[in-house]
Amino acid sequence: MNEEISFWILSAIAVLGALVAVRKRNLIHGVFALLVFFAGLSGLFLLLLAEFIAAVQVLVYIGAVGVLLLFAIMLTERVAGDDDRRMISRGWSWGLLAAAAVFVVLLLRPIQQLPSQDAAQPIKPSVEALGHKLINPYVVTLEVLALLLTAALIGAVTAAQGLSMPKEEDSPE
Amino acid sequence: MSFELLIDILIATVPLMLIFATVFAFTTWLERKALARIQNRIGPNKVGIPCTRIGLFGLGQPTADGIKMIFKENIVPTGADRLFHLLAPILALIPSMLVLCFLPLDFPWLNENSVKAFLLDGAVIFFFAITGLNTLAVFMAGWASRNKYSLLGGMRAVAQMISYEIPLVLSAVIVVMMVGSLDAAEIAGEQKGGNWFVFYPWGFAAFVIFFIAALAETNRSPFDLPEAESEIIAGYFTEYSGFKFALFFLAEYIAMFAISGLAVTLFLGGGDGPGLAVLPWLSVIWFLAKIFALIAVMIWLRGTLPRLRVDQLMGFAWKFMLPLSILNIFVAGFAWHAKQLDSQFIMVITWVISLAVLYGAASGLNQLNRGKVRPREYKYAE
Repeated sequence: MNEEISFWILSAIAVLGALVAVRKRNLIHGVFALLVFFAGLSGLFLLLLAEFIAAVQVLVYIGAVGVLLLFAIMLTERVAGDDDRRMISRGWSWGLLAAAAVFVVLLLRPIQQLPSQDAAQPIKPSVEALGHKLINPYVVTLEVLALLLTAALIGAVTAAQGLSMPKEEDSPE
Repeated sequence: MSFELLIDILIATVPLMLIFATVFAFTTWLERKALARIQNRIGPNKVGIPCTRIGLFGLGQPTADGIKMIFKENIVPTGADRLFHLLAPILALIPSMLVLCFLPLDFPWLNENSVKAFLLDGAVIFFFAITGLNTLAVFMAGWASRNKYSLLGGMRAVAQMISYEIPLVLSAVIVVMMVGSLDAAEIAGEQKGGNWFVFYPWGFAAFVIFFIAALAETNRSPFDLPEAESEIIAGYFTEYSGFKFALFFLAEYIAMFAISGLAVTLFLGGGDGPGLAVLPWLSVIWFLAKIFALIAVMIWLRGTLPRLRVDQLMGFAWKFMLPLSILNIFVAGFAWHAKQLDSQFIMVITWVISLAVLYGAASGLNQLNRGKVRPREYKYAE
């Protein structure tokens, strides 16, 4: 019962956050609404006893992606948005149709076939098991991912440095 | 939800808020007194018992400050984003309060069966995840004020907090490696009987890095660039007055308590201390005493050190703390493997080698960085 109430509250928060994020003209408001959505999602993970995923959701999406978005927005012009520009593009009905088609064709069947489980089974603490899994069977995947991220990091630094030569000292005029 | 459960939850959470909010008030008094002493002043000494001339060393100052803050006018700038201007101090306070739940405080009124505020397997990782939200609050405040100094302060805070979060987490990783758990209570339990991690070379290095990074994370001096009064007029809370300002103040101090509490849990043995066998409830006292010791050091540093420059700030995080903390992880890894061999001789050698490596690395990095930092050039003033 408690879980159900929590589920509905968190889902409402997530859906509202997502809606506001899409509809807001003001970019900063949109980003913060998106963060509310992430927070709601993290709460849902917590409800599913997936603590680690919930923590990572907060750490990566709210902490890192959110701040990154804010930084990017600070570099753009007209943060507050244009009032006379339409928020809904003309082909919105086609988009809705495509979304409905994806839902019906791909998602509806698996959702119906899901076994109805008890809400809260006693589960062993998940973080430790996850750690063992990451180091034991999936260690190669982890290392490859780390390598990929390092490559991306070095690439980003190179891109940021650009082709500009090291500048000479500014001579006093 | 049953009534008993509600009562249990309240018993677990309300004391945390009450204790730390009360302690906050007197920490401000302590800080002002200590700073005054360092700067050869007297500090608050008038406000004591009302309608008398009894000063009580100014102990009434926090109450007077609180009353002043509540009744002060709440000013919102015309161009400001009213909603975010209101939300920012609240968003600053919530994460700082929330992370207090992860500290392994064994209050005497909690027993085996009672609800713990928040007992998670991954408490440490949750702690870092939620303290990261402070950055957003600071940015929100800076942006919503529609004031260039506020925005500068907000941007400074975001850059600084992101940079210093990395050494902060990496130095905590060492303890997690050594214990093999992310559970705060288990980490504290591992250090029972004086076996604190700060007494090992790698633990000591990690503790120093953690403490410095914690100073930067909580915007304490000498890392108080986001709120530098002499440069950007208090930064992100320039446009805040009244109770919203008080909330920022409260959030900052609660964050200090929380991060000191994590430092105590990770490196200073949690509630460990003498006399626990006779009086088990002493562990809370020891825990709070250790937090206070760290806070006292923070106050002392604020009275002693000048503020860093922005280039020094970033250079210190990326060129000194980050390499050192990564090296420290390697040292701790080798030490862990040496410990598995269970030999006194090898342990001594490990100590000597790790001390030498860490000292050498610290002084080497210091030498490497020294040449790069030039004295400030004044372009527009002579």
